[in-house]
Amino acid sequence: MNYFSLKKQQRSSHSNSTGPSNAYQNLEKTSVLQETRTFNETPVNARKCIHILTKILYLINQGEQLVAREATDCFFAMTKLFQSKDVVLRRMVYLGIKELSSIAEDVIIVTSSLTKDMTGKEDLYRAAAIRALCSITDNTMLQAVERYMKQCIVDKNAAVSCAALVSSLRLASTSGDVVKRWANEAQEALNSDNIMVQYHALGLLYHIRKSDRLAVSKLVNKLTRGSLKSPYAVCMLIRIACKLIEEEDIPAEELSDSPLFTFIESCLRHKSEMVIYEAAHAIVNLKNTNPRMLSPAFSILQLFCSSPKATLRFAAVRTLNKVAMAHPAAVTTCNLDLEGLITDSNRSVATLAITTLLKTGAESSVERLMKQISTFVAEISDEFKVVVVQAICALCTKYPRKHSVLMNFLSGMLREEGGLEYKTSIVDTIITIIEENADAKESGLSHLCEFIEDCEHVSLAVRILHLLGKEGPFAATPSKYIRFIYNRVILESPIVRAAAVTALAQFGASCPALLSNILVLLGRCQMDPDDEVRDRATYYLSILNSERPELYKNYIIERENCSLALLEKSLSEHLNGDLETRFDISIVPKAAIVKAEVPSDVMLVTSSAPRPPKITREEESAARLAQLPGIQVLGPIHRSTAPIQLTESETEYTVQCIKHIFGQHVVFQFDCLNTLSDQFLENVRVELTLPEGFTARAVIPCPKLPYNELQTTFVIVEFPPDAASSIATFGATLRFVVKDCDPNTGEPDSDEGYDDEYMLEDLEITVADQIQKTKKNNFQVAWDAADSEEWLQAEDTFVLSAVTTLQDAVNTIVKILGLGAANLSEKVPEGTHLHTLLCSGTFRGGAEVLVRAKLALSEGVTLNLTVRSTDQDVAELITAAIG
Amino acid sequence: MLALINRILDWFKSIFWKEEMELTLVGLQFSGKTTFVNVIASGQFAEDMIPTVGFNMRKITRGNVTIKVWDIGGQPRFRSMWERYCRGVNAIVYMVDAADLDKLEASRNELHSLLDKPQLAGIPVLVLGNKRDLPGALDETGLIERMNLSSIQDREICCYSISCKEKDNIDITLQWLIQHSKSQSR
Repeated sequence: MNYFSLKKQQRSSHSNSTGPSNAYQNLEKTSVLQETRTFNETPVNARKCIHILTKILYLINQGEQLVAREATDCFFAMTKLFQSKDVVLRRMVYLGIKELSSIAEDVIIVTSSLTKDMTGKEDLYRAAAIRALCSITDNTMLQAVERYMKQCIVDKNAAVSCAALVSSLRLASTSGDVVKRWANEAQEALNSDNIMVQYHALGLLYHIRKSDRLAVSKLVNKLTRGSLKSPYAVCMLIRIACKLIEEEDIPAEELSDSPLFTFIESCLRHKSEMVIYEAAHAIVNLKNTNPRMLSPAFSILQLFCSSPKATLRFAAVRTLNKVAMAHPAAVTTCNLDLEGLITDSNRSVATLAITTLLKTGAESSVERLMKQISTFVAEISDEFKVVVVQAICALCTKYPRKHSVLMNFLSGMLREEGGLEYKTSIVDTIITIIEENADAKESGLSHLCEFIEDCEHVSLAVRILHLLGKEGPFAATPSKYIRFIYNRVILESPIVRAAAVTALAQFGASCPALLSNILVLLGRCQMDPDDEVRDRATYYLSILNSERPELYKNYIIERENCSLALLEKSLSEHLNGDLETRFDISIVPKAAIVKAEVPSDVMLVTSSAPRPPKITREEESAARLAQLPGIQVLGPIHRSTAPIQLTESETEYTVQCIKHIFGQHVVFQFDCLNTLSDQFLENVRVELTLPEGFTARAVIPCPKLPYNELQTTFVIVEFPPDAASSIATFGATLRFVVKDCDPNTGEPDSDEGYDDEYMLEDLEITVADQIQKTKKNNFQVAWDAADSEEWLQAEDTFVLSAVTTLQDAVNTIVKILGLGAANLSEKVPEGTHLHTLLCSGTFRGGAEVLVRAKLALSEGVTLNLTVRSTDQDVAELITAAIG
Repeated sequence: MLALINRILDWFKSIFWKEEMELTLVGLQFSGKTTFVNVIASGQFAEDMIPTVGFNMRKITRGNVTIKVWDIGGQPRFRSMWERYCRGVNAIVYMVDAADLDKLEASRNELHSLLDKPQLAGIPVLVLGNKRDLPGALDETGLIERMNLSSIQDREICCYSISCKEKDNIDITLQWLIQHSKSQSR
């Protein structure tokens, strides 16, 4: 039985009264806090106090929240216990300090007591006191204890030295500057004989020098010559070396001669298994490698696969699983060993082995492996079930013909018990299959319908209902989904009911045959007890009752999402304005799809800084631009481009430019950096050579640009009235007044300065800059609706000689035009000679653009481009941009 | 010989009539609190002390009395915490730098705001004017006047002028403290 289900059983036995009872169960927070009065008694009763402290720690670790006043009272009562000499009690006090340090106020009161303990004679106190001290020390207090920390880092007692090093690492995140001064001590600790001290010292040294690449490579070069005894430190060194290799981006041919790689390879022959594994893991994960360099690493992993130690087998098979897609050929050589692991008694190893084989194996073996895995899928933990699901997802893309086997398996898994994360991954996979494989759509949708009948996860139910609303109306028999959806309206919570109402309305809008039924159902939803559900039902009913299909498109099928932050801003601006003009929602920028960043920090020291919430570039720059005087005149922002560098990196001054496009204007934002420590720049501005038709409206210089501070200057330019001449190239020169200054203080030597200039690279405004992507869920409906009076059409045929494949052509078109592709048409299926790309966007000023590009592959790629737009100029501009 | 008998007598006394007292030592920074503790504990005087960050706890045995001293840091950020350590002690010792006339007003304000706390009502206070060896240092009467000690009526209050460096009047201070240990104050 695996660990997780064991734990579950223990928990259930706890709830039974028959099981062994927990002495700390049913503790009352207030009564425990009352008991802390005992701490003030003299003489201190150590046993009693230890017991009370244990209760407090238990409560905090059970998630009980203390408010600041409670925590502070408790903390100060605890400080009285420093008078006791009881060793156990003192160590409990340290634990208490660490737990309460973040909640209680004035925790610095114990600084002196802790420094006394950490420098004292009692070795049992010292390490723990250091750790407690670091949890209460803030930046200002750190200077006071700096001397003691330095001493402790080089202490001969290994536990003390370790505690000091690890605590320094923790402090480095908040007070990096102070910790930097301890590098010499860390360097000394690196020569320690103790394996843990050496490891932690390397960690701290690396952290201190992390931002200085030269220093890191010096450190690595020195250490790779083999002075490290600690296997942990060697593992760490391997990771640092890998990071250096990745950063330098050494090509494969040169890599084998690089001293860094030679070091990693030599670690494959280290005497510690941990180091051998680390080196093998590092090599197979390197980016630029060739088979010759990989083969020794894979042989090591293969060897580990048949090791008697379960941990080694697990590590090896997990690594193989991860790189199976990157190096399928190399992993295939291990297939025989992996086959042997399918029946491994450790289910985790077996799961990983099977999923690896699924990734690399042939189509014929899929059924056999699926059968094998279904025998024990119920026994493995959620975490590994997710691995299985991901493997299946990869298989579906690889072997589309196998979708029925895989889909059945997935629906079986959906019916079983499982957490949200697990269920989400299954649903994701099914959705991916539906999107990529039209044959699988019907069966996939019906599996999902079945799933929402009994789904406890609100977020998943809502997502599936949305998908049903989008895809269901276009299935062979849309009517069969309605029963499933309406069941949700009867049975579920308000959030799900609201989503179901929206889905129903989609059917009403897209399937005229079903409209009368839908109207009846929506009518019933108007009786719903929840406001949101009623509101939605009423909204959809009134639109559907209007019997004007053109309204359906804009208000039911294609509801465009404004960026909410900018909508709020525009509305408040409108309210502050004269209120004589109507509010025009079409000028609010659409919400761009923000891609989640992939964490790139491989496995090195991880910092747990909270990620900033996702915001679009437009929202970010709107806040920034709002501070410019007179910016309101330009109206709301349409789009901000990604920054482009106008200088080489590592020159005297570096400048990058962001273009903010408004309805009739463009605001150039220049972020300037002065990299000369002996110069102080003033009145920094960028002078643009404007092409004909453009008019400069304002220049906002940056008054002061000291050394190494990023400052910004702006230029506001008005577009020419006709869109056709809005594509242009600008010459740019950076102008400023230089004053010499003292590199140490940054203060200018005198008030005298001289004018100087610096040539920048040319800037361009392209079509893509002026277009904001939109994503149409149903392009065809929008396209057909655009075949009317107010829309204008331009058409042309081109031969694209520069590209050789359809996919390249599609990528180029999307990039040049900056449009968003619809209906997954940006992916060209393999083995076809014809493809149609559908994409859409909004031009600055609010003109909508729809583009249909028919591509045919013959000698080169032939392109037939049809552009529909509400503005003639824009349509012509876009056709011209391709030519 | 007599001294030996005395010491044996003291030792017997300490077994049978062992007494304990707890006192809190507060006052502005650089007035000599930690130095004072060192002097009464070991008779050692050191010039170069580092500021107390937080508090020090010392136990001092004098004859049959064990004195537990909470020596709290005097920097502004610690002053709000003085009260917490003054609750329920046998006596509060308030240290004043008698030679630093500029800080006297701040010192007086801190003392009065501390004694206004209802939790500390009735606890005896001993005000010590330290550094009397320095030129220009105030004596007892000067201190009583400048610290406005006569306005404190609700408790026992006493003022001595001492010098930790010269060990002046340390003995009478100790005597006062011992008198206020548990049994006497009861």
